[in-house]
Amino acid sequence: MESRTLKPVLAAYLVAFILFLYGPFFVLGILSFQQGPDGGPQFPIIEWSTYWYRQIFGLTPPSRIAPLPVGEALVRSLVLAFMTMVTSTVLGVMSAQAFRRKFRGSTFVFYLIVLGMMVPGVLTGLGTSLLANNVIGISRHWYTTAFATHVAYTFPFAFLVMLAILNRFDGSVEEASWSLGVNPWTTFRKVTFPLIFPGVLSAMLFAFTLSFDEFPRSLFAAGGTEDQTLPLAIYGTFSVEIHPNIFAFGVLTTLFSFALLSVYGILMALSVRRARKLAMQEDIA
Amino acid sequence: MTGAIVEAKRKGTNWLIVPGIVWMALFMVVPILMICYVSFWTQTTFNISSTPTLASWKQFFSSDTYIGALWTTIRIWLIVLATTFIIGYPTALFVGLFVKSKTLSTVLLVICVIPFWTSFLIRVLAWRPMLGKEGAINIILMKLNIISQPIEVLLFTELSVIIGMTQIYCVFMVGPIAFMLGRIDRNIIEAARDLGAGFGRIFWKIIFPLSLPGVVVGAIFVSVMVLGEFATAGALSGRKVNLLGNIIVTQVGSLKWAMASVTGVILTVVMGIVIAAFLRIVDLKREL
Repeated sequence: MESRTLKPVLAAYLVAFILFLYGPFFVLGILSFQQGPDGGPQFPIIEWSTYWYRQIFGLTPPSRIAPLPVGEALVRSLVLAFMTMVTSTVLGVMSAQAFRRKFRGSTFVFYLIVLGMMVPGVLTGLGTSLLANNVIGISRHWYTTAFATHVAYTFPFAFLVMLAILNRFDGSVEEASWSLGVNPWTTFRKVTFPLIFPGVLSAMLFAFTLSFDEFPRSLFAAGGTEDQTLPLAIYGTFSVEIHPNIFAFGVLTTLFSFALLSVYGILMALSVRRARKLAMQEDIA
Repeated sequence: MTGAIVEAKRKGTNWLIVPGIVWMALFMVVPILMICYVSFWTQTTFNISSTPTLASWKQFFSSDTYIGALWTTIRIWLIVLATTFIIGYPTALFVGLFVKSKTLSTVLLVICVIPFWTSFLIRVLAWRPMLGKEGAINIILMKLNIISQPIEVLLFTELSVIIGMTQIYCVFMVGPIAFMLGRIDRNIIEAARDLGAGFGRIFWKIIFPLSLPGVVVGAIFVSVMVLGEFATAGALSGRKVNLLGNIIVTQVGSLKWAMASVTGVILTVVMGIVIAAFLRIVDLKREL
């Protein structure tokens, strides 16, 4: 391969590519420190300030620019993401567990589940709100209809993660447990679950972050303003004039995501370490 | 005897699939069927009734706005598919094939994925101060004396929608391609080179064909997401670019459920055709 000429060219290309991916965030980050409340969401920076960050936390005197309506929306989004995470992970573990044995129609069921991540949110959202609003005639809420669509979206991800983990899982430890007369539920709790825990963590992370950021499904399936989740609150500010407070908020949510990711990393490292310790104890014994 | 117990215990796990099937049937399949069903309902200004009619369908196909949205959707989908592929492939080539160390290539992929932990809407919005008349790109270009007047077509046009979507979705192209490239047996490339093949020939005869399943998976990801889009188009075009998704949102907003459903069915059909076509190119089950 003419890698001597091609490799540096491609490396330079990669740098340009990463700039393309990150460029908007740098600009967003810089503009979030725009002077307030008169500075607009564009260059030049009139004066560096943390005004817009303080405004989000309600630490600034009231001005003509209304603070972002994010407080309650944030709580709703967190609760919804948590509910979705628990339900999707439980469903994912159960289904993947069933898939360890071939059963009739398993290919069909596989595609049925995977469909949930392939069908665009506009369609699931629209369909669910039609079902609730027009056909059955119940009102839509973030904790009912929106929750149902969120699970239908994140469950396939949890399922695929668990399927990948359980495919590499050595079933003989379970068989040993069963032959010793331990009932299946205790076996699952004491033997299987600790072994698949890293996979469960990944499934939870997927479900939580996907649900937390889910927008099209919530737009249709959640009800009015009293049902707004965080992405809906952000979307609401799109239609009116944009101020740098939304940029500051973007920076904060990104930091929050990184915090979440770090927690995941730490839990993962801990569980790997524990598994290693156990393996060492077994070696000694 | 142990074998029998184990067999019995294994068999007992089949019921575990039931809740998953029920959930997907109720909240995935039934809603999609509802869209088909409601598309034949009778819509009046403020009401909708279940009397079957073809009125909304006729209205869709006789209106320039709706047909226009269909073509815009297909045009933007094709353009974004091309740009994500053209921009993504060299990156994937470098990460998947040229980087020798596995750790480095993982780190590079993680760097590409990190922006995804920012809210989708914020990612879309971040392009506004970038592309605007007083945006970063215009300021930089003017400082460098490349242009004397700010370029105004950058924001609130179809171009800004395409730029935004390309950035948001190109990583879905890079990932699968890099994965397939990473699996290529380096000995094949070695052998071809020893036999005197130049890079161009190696690329077109070996590397590209072997990466094709990755391209197809990436294309499916990008297609599914772009076809169902509406937020990027709404936020970056100033509502000038209307995709099928935007039509659905506006129709639901004005309680025109039947028309939203017709558009939804058409979107579903387009999506089905696109995915089926991609799956014909490459037999994924065999390749992966």
